[in-house]
Amino acid sequence: MSDLHPDPSSPRDDAADMIERLRAENAELKLELEQTRRTSQRYLQNVAHQLTAPLGAIKWSIEGLKDAEVPMPRKIKLLSSIYSQATILVHLIKNFTLMSNLEADHELGQFRDKPEPVDAFRLAVNLANDFQPQAAETGKKIIVDEISFTIALKSKSVLMVKNLVAQALSNLLENAVKYADFATTISVTAERFVPVADKAPVLGISVMSTGMPITPEEIAELCNRGFRGKAARQRVPAGTGIGLYLAKRVMTLHQGTLVIRAKAKESRFTLVFPLDRLV
Amino acid sequence: MKKILFVDDEPLGHESLRYALEARGYECVIATDMSSALNALRAQDFSVVVTDIMMPGGADYPSVDSQEVGFHFVEMLREHWPRIPVICLSVIGDQIKIRGLKRKRVQYLRKGEGPLSTAVDVVSRAASGRYSY
Repeated sequence: MSDLHPDPSSPRDDAADMIERLRAENAELKLELEQTRRTSQRYLQNVAHQLTAPLGAIKWSIEGLKDAEVPMPRKIKLLSSIYSQATILVHLIKNFTLMSNLEADHELGQFRDKPEPVDAFRLAVNLANDFQPQAAETGKKIIVDEISFTIALKSKSVLMVKNLVAQALSNLLENAVKYADFATTISVTAERFVPVADKAPVLGISVMSTGMPITPEEIAELCNRGFRGKAARQRVPAGTGIGLYLAKRVMTLHQGTLVIRAKAKESRFTLVFPLDRLV
Repeated sequence: MKKILFVDDEPLGHESLRYALEARGYECVIATDMSSALNALRAQDFSVVVTDIMMPGGADYPSVDSQEVGFHFVEMLREHWPRIPVICLSVIGDQIKIRGLKRKRVQYLRKGEGPLSTAVDVVSRAASGRYSY
């Protein structure tokens, strides 16, 4: 006797269900791929903009130096601008190099360079001096609080890969210079503190500034590669969104972390080292 | 003295152009966002406006997407100050083309592209009413 009512779960139906599922998954994957393509295209455009803008300014400034009509005081100002734009460019390229090196270091699980004892106060002063001309263009000033470093370091050095931590701290300083309000002071301080109750104390090196409101939701995302807060995007449209991502990666390699605290327009970004890195 | 309004949140990007124009007798005024640029236009007469595309909206336009501010600014310029020559000075030349700013009688220059003297010439010509786009 033939079966007039085939079993609903026959192999043919199972195959049809599977094809339907695979079609849906395929459509989902295509959508994800398209979104990734657009994100990476936007990112590349952004990076190209970040590199082109200072280079273009340098090129025209050099031509301005050769312009016989431009008076000497203006030419001196152009020289200072060339320095600022070159600093921005060098910093940006270092970030890209660092990103590529860190990916490799992360895979290896070790540093490319050997950690060495570093005078953290001297490092902070040197980096602050690098960014001082850029800050001065918008009436800002960077102050490194020597007393706080003396108390926190107790005459000890910090064991670190100097060029990595220098770049992490530079990223914090660059952000502060970029986003702080006009004519405000940016402070660099050091402190020992207990990050979470019952945990061991740590050493923190902080950059504090006033100007950029950061929401608690944004704090959670700020260290994601390419992420930029809404207020930051409004104030400075161009940016790569890799500075904090790199700073956190650098600190993780030092068994530390990056702590972000913000209240109203005040923000504090802290590079955290375990105390056993004091030698 | 003819006045030129420069609108850009990064004034260093066009500092050399401003100095070259000032050395040739123009007065350059800087606005770092759309809001302050519109205030300057309401208060003073300008022979030409040189504007970037990506910049903040400023106090009166905080929610305009900063990537798009320049386009909004051009729309407002064309509506309220239709006779002022407008030059876009930006690094995002392709987008400017796509958005058809040329159809809105806006000339564009790419920052740092070509000699500075050409940019000086383009802005000077626009300020003198010899405007091609």
